[in-house]
Amino acid sequence: MGSRKFDYPVRESCNNMATSNSDRSLRWYAAREPIVLGVLTLLAIAGFAGVSALSRLFHRQQQARATRWYNRGTADLTAGSLRRAVADFRTAMLFSRDNYSYQLGLAEALAAQGSAGKQEAYVYLLDLWEREPENGTVNLALARILAEKGDKDEALRYYHNAIYALWKDNPDAERRGARLELAEFLLHENAITQAQAELIALSGDLPDDPALHIRVGDLFMQTQDNVHALAEYRQGLRMDHQNSKAMAGIGKAAFELGNYSLSQRYLQEAVARGADSQSTQLLDTVNMVRRMDPFQRKIPASQRARIVVGAFGTAGRRLQDCVSRAKPQATGSPANNEQTLSAQWSVLKPKITGAGLRRDPDAVESAMDLVFAIERDTSSECGAPTGADLALLLISQLHEGN
Amino acid sequence: MTWLPKPSVVTTPRNAEIESAALPSKSISASLLRSVFREDRFFLVLSVFIGIFSGLAVVCFRFAIEWCRVHLLGSELVASPTRLLLAPSLAGLVIAVLVIHVFPLARGSGVNQTKAALYIYNGYIPFRTAIGKFITSALAIGSGHSLGPEDPSLQIGAGLASVLGRRLHLPRERMRLIAPVGAAAGLAAAFNAPISAVLFVIEEVIGRWSAGILGSVVLSAVSSVVVMRWFLGSEPLFRIPRVALVRPGELIAYAVLGIAGGLASGVFSSSIAILRPRLKALPKWTQYCQPAIAGLMIGLIGVLGFPQVMGAGYEFIDQAIHGQFTWQVLGILAGLKIVATTLSFASGTPGGMFAPTLFIGAMLGAAVGGVEQMFFPHLSGSAGTYALVGMGVLFAGFLRAPMTSVFMALEVSGNYSIILPVIVANTFAYVISRALQPVPIFDLLTRQEGLELPSMEEQREESIVRVEDAMRPVTVPVLSDEEPLDRVLRQIEDSLSDNLLVSLSPVGWNVITRQEIKTMVGEGKGTLSLRSVLPIRQLPHLHPDHPLEVALRYVNQWPLVPVVSRANFSKLEGIISREDVLNAYHAVDGEPA
Repeated sequence: MGSRKFDYPVRESCNNMATSNSDRSLRWYAAREPIVLGVLTLLAIAGFAGVSALSRLFHRQQQARATRWYNRGTADLTAGSLRRAVADFRTAMLFSRDNYSYQLGLAEALAAQGSAGKQEAYVYLLDLWEREPENGTVNLALARILAEKGDKDEALRYYHNAIYALWKDNPDAERRGARLELAEFLLHENAITQAQAELIALSGDLPDDPALHIRVGDLFMQTQDNVHALAEYRQGLRMDHQNSKAMAGIGKAAFELGNYSLSQRYLQEAVARGADSQSTQLLDTVNMVRRMDPFQRKIPASQRARIVVGAFGTAGRRLQDCVSRAKPQATGSPANNEQTLSAQWSVLKPKITGAGLRRDPDAVESAMDLVFAIERDTSSECGAPTGADLALLLISQLHEGN
Repeated sequence: MTWLPKPSVVTTPRNAEIESAALPSKSISASLLRSVFREDRFFLVLSVFIGIFSGLAVVCFRFAIEWCRVHLLGSELVASPTRLLLAPSLAGLVIAVLVIHVFPLARGSGVNQTKAALYIYNGYIPFRTAIGKFITSALAIGSGHSLGPEDPSLQIGAGLASVLGRRLHLPRERMRLIAPVGAAAGLAAAFNAPISAVLFVIEEVIGRWSAGILGSVVLSAVSSVVVMRWFLGSEPLFRIPRVALVRPGELIAYAVLGIAGGLASGVFSSSIAILRPRLKALPKWTQYCQPAIAGLMIGLIGVLGFPQVMGAGYEFIDQAIHGQFTWQVLGILAGLKIVATTLSFASGTPGGMFAPTLFIGAMLGAAVGGVEQMFFPHLSGSAGTYALVGMGVLFAGFLRAPMTSVFMALEVSGNYSIILPVIVANTFAYVISRALQPVPIFDLLTRQEGLELPSMEEQREESIVRVEDAMRPVTVPVLSDEEPLDRVLRQIEDSLSDNLLVSLSPVGWNVITRQEIKTMVGEGKGTLSLRSVLPIRQLPHLHPDHPLEVALRYVNQWPLVPVVSRANFSKLEGIISREDVLNAYHAVDGEPA
């Protein structure tokens, strides 16, 4: 450009020629440059105005189409028609590719479709996360996908993001939900202490919702934090006095804490209100524990003797069954322990009768010590006990150290 | 227009003064006019306006395509089978009538036509062609023909610029420049990528590097992108998920993609190169139904389960980037898109090849990435990464624009970390594609039209003959300009050379003949210094690395031209004459000197 700047000799004649040829246009421009620029500016303004009007019309139409498809997608997603929802959201994005809500809707529909759509959903969610890293919905959705993938560290990161993220509607409830989900994920991953920490943080912030308290109580039970579980169940019951789940929960938590009288009271109430079969079974066990405990206060000696004789017999049968199932073992092996216990049981058996116990009240203790030893040993060697054996084992734990 | 390096010519202030005094009065008025109206400045301002108008036109073009799509194919993501079959075929019939009877120059992609306007028609593109391109391309792309909006946008931009240039009575050399300026603006707005547009116009339209036009091209591209973003938003063309190259060894995976892309590019360009002349050779009446038949076949592909190949397909590229398709589906889509685009383009339907190229690249890239990850699950690249690299690969392999392909990948993704995989893969694709199809697709199409236009790829292949290949050692006496003529005459007594070089102080060269010195001494001027009797104008000089064609400008007028060092203009490296230049060209052509 600008060859006139280079006045080297060989081009001199050419330049002169070009100069004379362009003189006319130069004069034309020199006279009209401001006019030309003015006209061009006016044309540009007119063009802008025209295209702006077209653009408004275009965008309005596109937005209307996009909204129609998005609403259809949302309805399909709510109705569970996931394939149609995915197609609807995709169509909505055809008219408004970068709309955050549409992409989020698509990602949610894809994620709900199962493993087939999860990868695509994940990529869309990553896009959305890059645009709004503080969005709670996106963080929670990412956490769910990563949790399902088994990427624990990343899932934890997004769960924590979700807990502290911005939520458009009902942020407290959303944050609680995210924390609850995180606790469940941690329990699934067997990270009991971390789960317990999340639940403790959550329990201080729960609204007056009995179902929520019961759910948190259930999770505390899974972390074996029975004290907190009991407190949550109690809270739930305080808010809804007729809640059988809360009663059953108290019964279970009290059972785990060894408070069988409390457990019995609430389990009876719960079962009477139609609680689940697990509560019924548990109530049976609690009843047995209460019935078979010879160390209860305020029971007559004859009854105590009857209980001890019954417990001794139960333990003997359990031991016999365990020994018969066990193969011959070397000296010092567990089977040997059972043989020793069997021998002790045989030695003690003649004394453990109603009359014998009345004659020698101290035999109650020695008999029950042997019963507890048998139940403990067989529970570790011959599998978990059931029925009366379980009750005896629980009684042994109750009186451990006494 | 100055395409070549500027030779060094020194004009002393004294000489300039004398020269200006000798200029005729007409030139004085011209220089006065020039000072009032600065043409360079005006052209730059005009480039901005070209960018604005092109941007506005491209925005309207995008609206038109979308309206055509919605009204012809419906607002659903995938149209009903009836629409899939009828829309492209009926639109094909209308397009054929329009192209044959109303807009005969609107056929093709638009890149070659713009290039032809630059090199053959002095920048002239009829306004009717721009209008025709707008209407027919919008109809074709909107109805589902497998073509893209970028190349037509390029031609629409160039057409608008040409109209503006004609209205403003621009001189011929400016008119030639104005088409690429408009082309860059149109492409930049269509692609939302100003750097890629500028590079593409330089690589494919202008066909050679030129600093002179760069400023205008950049200005127009930037202003059109600003306009486009004003109306359509500033989001990049594709949303590419984060890219990270964890291990350098993964570059091998991208190299494999480059090889696959090179092969696909070869197949794609060969199929167009074979089918297009055959369809053109058919009886003329068939041209009425060729676009319709192509549209029907593409619609059939859509009905058979692959409607993604219809239209520009950007929404499906986005889905591929987000991992929607399995590698098998991606592979099929890449193959079918080659078929569909070949049909559309070869049938003479107006529309571009950018979008189909990107579509094929994205599908192929994601497919190759999917296969690789099946065997090597530790590879860190996502489907989006491979799709993006795949787009660059096809760009380099099929369109043969290697520079543009790299910057395009950067610009459309906004992600710099992709650059290494893109460069590796593109290099493989480019080399393989060149081996399979030596002539680039745009050059091939131009030659099928019976035109021969400059090509940057061919230019890169040319071996340049330089001054150093022709110059000879200094065998003539070199005189100092301060010596008196008497002494000079004595110095040259033993020399056989008629032409004598004079070294000027402090810097510069001149030439004088033995006869001239003898005459002046005979006239009694022996005591005068050589400087005082030399002609005013200095001798131009050359450098050894100058292309030999630069020397051609001087050797006709001067018997000897000094070749001097770039570091020291007084240091003589050699001399060159017309005979030396001709001998060098003979030697290159293998002829006896």
